[in-house]
Amino acid sequence: MKKLYSNKLVIFSLVLPGIIVFLFAILAPICLSVYYGFTDYSGMGAYSFIGIENYRQLVHDEAFWTSLKNSLLLAVGFICIQHPLALIVAAVLDKLGGKAEGFFRCVYFIPNVISVAVIAYLWKFIYNPDFGLLNNIIKVFGGKGDINWFSNETAIWAVLLVLIWHGFGWGMLIYYTGIKNIDPVLYEAAAIDGANQRQTFLKITLPLMKPVIQVNVTMAVISALKQMETVYLLTNGGPGNSTQFTANYLYQQAFKAFKYGYGNAIGVIFIIICLLATVFLNKVFEERDINPRRVKGAA
Amino acid sequence: MGFAGKKKNKITKPLLWFVLIAVAVIQIFPLVWLVDFSLASSTEMFTNGLLVIPEKIQWGNYAKAFADGNFLLYLKNSILINGLAVVLVILVSIMAAFACRRMRWKLSGFVKTLLLMGMMIPIHATLLPNYKIYSQLGLTDTVWALLIPYVAFSLPQGLFLMTSFMESIPVELEEAAVMDGCGIYRIIFQIITPMLKSSIATVAIMTFLNNWNEFMMASTYLSSEKWKTLPFSVLEFTGEYSSNYAVQFAVMALTAAPAVIVYIILNKHITKGAAMGAVKG
Amino acid sequence: MKRRILSILLTAAMAVTLLAGCGSDGNKDEGKSESADGKVTLKVFSNLPDRKNGQGLVEQMIIDEYMKENENVNIEVEALDEEAYKTKFKAYSMEGMPDVVSIWGQPSFLDEVLEAGVLAELDESDYSDYGFISGSLEGFKKDGKLYGLPRNTDVAAFYYNEKMFKDNKWEVPATYDELLDLAKTIKDAGIIPLAMDGGDGWPMAVYLSDILYKLAGSDYASIVSEAVSSGDFTNENFVKATELLKKTADAGLFQNGYDSQDYGTAQNLFTNGQAAMFYMGSWEASMALNEDIPEEVRTNIRMFTMPVIDGGKGTAADIAAWNGGGYGVSANSEVKEEAIKFLNYMYQKDKLSKYGWENGVGMSAQDQTEYMTGDETELQMQFVDAVNDAASVSGTPVNDCGPSSFKTSIESQIQNVSNGSISVEDFLATIGKECK
Repeated sequence: MKKLYSNKLVIFSLVLPGIIVFLFAILAPICLSVYYGFTDYSGMGAYSFIGIENYRQLVHDEAFWTSLKNSLLLAVGFICIQHPLALIVAAVLDKLGGKAEGFFRCVYFIPNVISVAVIAYLWKFIYNPDFGLLNNIIKVFGGKGDINWFSNETAIWAVLLVLIWHGFGWGMLIYYTGIKNIDPVLYEAAAIDGANQRQTFLKITLPLMKPVIQVNVTMAVISALKQMETVYLLTNGGPGNSTQFTANYLYQQAFKAFKYGYGNAIGVIFIIICLLATVFLNKVFEERDINPRRVKGAA
Repeated sequence: MGFAGKKKNKITKPLLWFVLIAVAVIQIFPLVWLVDFSLASSTEMFTNGLLVIPEKIQWGNYAKAFADGNFLLYLKNSILINGLAVVLVILVSIMAAFACRRMRWKLSGFVKTLLLMGMMIPIHATLLPNYKIYSQLGLTDTVWALLIPYVAFSLPQGLFLMTSFMESIPVELEEAAVMDGCGIYRIIFQIITPMLKSSIATVAIMTFLNNWNEFMMASTYLSSEKWKTLPFSVLEFTGEYSSNYAVQFAVMALTAAPAVIVYIILNKHITKGAAMGAVKG
Repeated sequence: MKRRILSILLTAAMAVTLLAGCGSDGNKDEGKSESADGKVTLKVFSNLPDRKNGQGLVEQMIIDEYMKENENVNIEVEALDEEAYKTKFKAYSMEGMPDVVSIWGQPSFLDEVLEAGVLAELDESDYSDYGFISGSLEGFKKDGKLYGLPRNTDVAAFYYNEKMFKDNKWEVPATYDELLDLAKTIKDAGIIPLAMDGGDGWPMAVYLSDILYKLAGSDYASIVSEAVSSGDFTNENFVKATELLKKTADAGLFQNGYDSQDYGTAQNLFTNGQAAMFYMGSWEASMALNEDIPEEVRTNIRMFTMPVIDGGKGTAADIAAWNGGGYGVSANSEVKEEAIKFLNYMYQKDKLSKYGWENGVGMSAQDQTEYMTGDETELQMQFVDAVNDAASVSGTPVNDCGPSSFKTSIESQIQNVSNGSISVEDFLATIGKECK
C-alpha cells in the first residue's frame, strides 16, 4: 500500500495536468507581465527597457489611485449595504418555511445567472435620465425625475447599486445556507429561555454566523478589487475617470492608449495588491476554523 | 424551523412578507421591464410610465434577434465551451486532489498551495500577456483561447472543494481495493469518483456559474463568429441595431433566457450546490 | 435526485466532448486562407456593425457583389462599433491583422500603426483615375508612400428636426449666441435642445475643434500642430474654445447626462423626437433613409454647420471637415494581392462612392458629380452645398492630431471640463502632458 501510494511516476502523472494549466495560464502570463512592465512597449514595433520608469509613473497616476479608491468604496458598499441586507433577508427567509421560502430564494438569485453583458446594458437604460426606469419611478411618485445618475459625483454610486443588486442573491444564499446550518437545538433552547426573535437573531444567529460573515467579507473585498466587466460595459470608467477600476484601467492603457508596457506594469501591481489583500484578510481571520481562501466565485 | 414560527406575533408576519416581496420586486422588476419593452416598438420606449402596454405585440423583435443575433450558434458555443471546461476542471481537480491529499510525497503541500494560488490572481490581469501568448501560439480565435483560462481560473476552486470532500472518504475503502490489486487510477476513477458525486455537482455548478457569463476574454481573444459565446450577441447587436431599441431589448431577453430557464428548473440543486461550494467547502 | 443530475451532467459532458471532437477536425482547413482548389478567404475587419443601413449596408453590398463575381473568393466580415473597433485593432496590430481593415487617416490612429509597419504600401499611381478629391489621400501617407484610401469626406454638423423647428417657430441660429439663446428656448419648451454623444468623448472633441476653427480661422492648423508638438495648450484660442464649450454645457444645450451617454442613446433621442438637434458627422446623413426611424422624423432631418462666434476669425463658410475613415490592407496578409484587388474593386467609381451616395451616406472622398440624380435627399444636398460653398475646411479634429495617449486623455478629460469637475487650465495642462 505504502509503495503504491508513493509511486513518483503515478503522482507525477496525476498532478501534471494541473501544473501545466497553472504554468501556462497563470504563471507564464504573470512572468510576461513583469517583463513587459519594465519596457516602453507600445504594443507593436520595437521597444526598449526603461527600468522602473512605468512604476514611477504609476505612483503619480491619478487615475490609478482613483481606481483603487473606487475598489475600496465598492468593498465598503458591499459590506455596509449589501451584506446587512442580505443577512437580514436570509434570516427572515429562514423563518418563512414552505413553498414560499423556496420561491423567494429562487427569485432573489435570478439576477445572478444573467450575463453581465445583459445586466450592464439593461441598467444603462434604467439609468437613462430622459426615459430610464429610475427617473420614471420618481415621476410616478410625483418627483421631477430628471436626475443624471452618471454625473461625476453620483456615477460611482450608480455602479455600486448595480453591483449590489446583481450580487445580492449570492450573498443572501451564502448567509441563508449558514443560517440553515445552525443547530435547531440552539433555537429551541433560546425559546425555552423565553428569548424573542430579535434576541435570538442577535444572540444566536449572528455570533454563529461569524465565520460565514468573514468568508463573505473576504469575497466582497476581492470581488471589489477584481471588478471589471460591469464597469467596462456600463461607464467604461467615465465620466472622466470617476468610475475607473484597476482592471478596466490597465485594459484601456494597453489597448486604447497604446501603452502595453505600462498596462502590464499596472497588471503586476494589481496582482500584488490582490495577493496582499488576500493574505491580509487571511491573517485577520486566521484564528477561525473556516478557510477564507475560498474567495472566487463572488458576485 | 417550524418551531420559531410558533413565536410569530401578528404584526411581524405581514412585515416579513412586505420585506420579502419588496426585495423580490426590486430583484425582478428590471427583468419584467426588459421583457415588456422587448415586445413594444422602439418609439414606445419614450414614455413616462413604468411599463407600456404595446399597441401591437412586436414578436418580430424576437425574430430579428433570433436570426441576426446568431442565437443558436452562440448558444451552442457557450454550452460547448462551458461543458468542456466543467469536464476538464472536474477531471484535473480530482486527479490533483487525490495526489495531494492521499498520496505520500514531500512536495504535496507545496504543489497544492501553488495550484490554489490561482484563486488570488485577478483573472483580468492576465488579459494582456495572455493575448500575446495566444496570438504567438496561434490560439486566438480558437476554442482554446477561452478554454484554457476558464479551466485555469476554475481549477483552484475545484481542487479546493475536492480535497476537502475527499477528506471525508474513509481510507479503509481504498485499503480494501489495494488488497484486491487495484492500481491508483482504478482507485481514483472507480472508487473515489463515485463517492464524490455531490461535490462533482457542486464543482460543475460553480464552474458553470463562473464562466457562463464571462465576457472580457471572449471579446478580446475571439474574432470570428465560430466560437463567440452568448454574451456577445448583446454587444454585437447594440451596434447593429443602434437605432432600434426594442430589438436590442429582445436580444437581451433572449440572451438571458437559457440560463434563467435552466436555473428555474434546477433551482433547488443549483442553489444547494452553489451554497455548498461557497460555505461548506 | 443528485444522481439524476449527475448523470445528466455526465451525459451532457460526453456529448460535448464528442461535438468538440467533430468541430476541431473542420477547423484545420478553414484556418488556411488559400487552399489547393484556389479558394481564397479574405477577412474584412470593419467599424460598421450596422449592415442594414448606411455605410455598413454599402460595404456589405460590395462584398456580396465581389463574392458573386469572384466565386473562388469568400469574404468574412468582423464588424464592431468604433470604440470597440479601435481597441481591437490595436490588439490585432500586435499580432497579425485581418486582410482588409478600416483605418483612419489621422495621426492619432495612423502614426503608430504605420511605425509598426502593419499596413501594406499601396501604389499611388494605380489610383490616378479613381477621382479622389485633391488632398484627400494626404492623411494616409507617410514619407510620401500611400498606405490607405479615404472613404468619406466628413463634415461636422448640427442635425435638426425641421418640422419641430417650424412648429415651434425656432430659427436656425446664425451666431453662437443665438444658438445658446435657442438652447434656452427649446429647453423651456420641455424638449432636449441637442443630443450629444458625450460618453464617447470624441464627438465632444470634434465639437471643441469646430468651435476652435470658428475662433482661430485659418490659424487653426498651425495652432493645433504647435500645441501638439510642444505640449503647450495655453494659446488663448484653446482657452476661449474650452471656456465656450463649458459655457455651452452650462447653458443646457446638451441633454441631461450627456457626458455618460453613448452614440446610440444620443442618436435615439434625436431620431425619436426627444431632442431637437443632434451633433454628429455627415456619415449620419443616411438617417434620412433609415426605416427604423419614424417617418415623421426621418423626412424632416436637416442640418446646419457651426454658427459663427462673435470675435472669431472663422466665417460661416469655414467649416469643420476632414477625410477620416478609410481602408487599408494588412502588410502580413497571406493573400495581400487578392486583398488589394478587393480594395481597388471597392474604390471603383461606381462602387463605394456611388452606392454610398445612393444610400444617403454623406460624401465620399471621390468626385461624385457623375451620379447626381436629383433624387438625393435634401439632407444630402445640404451637405454637398456646404462643401461646395466652403471657403476652407479645418482638417483633422484636435483629438486626432496627437499620439493615441493624447487622444485617450483629451477624450476622457473633455467630459470633466465640460461638466465642471476640472478647470479649463487643468484640462489644457493635463492633455498637454500626454504630448510630451
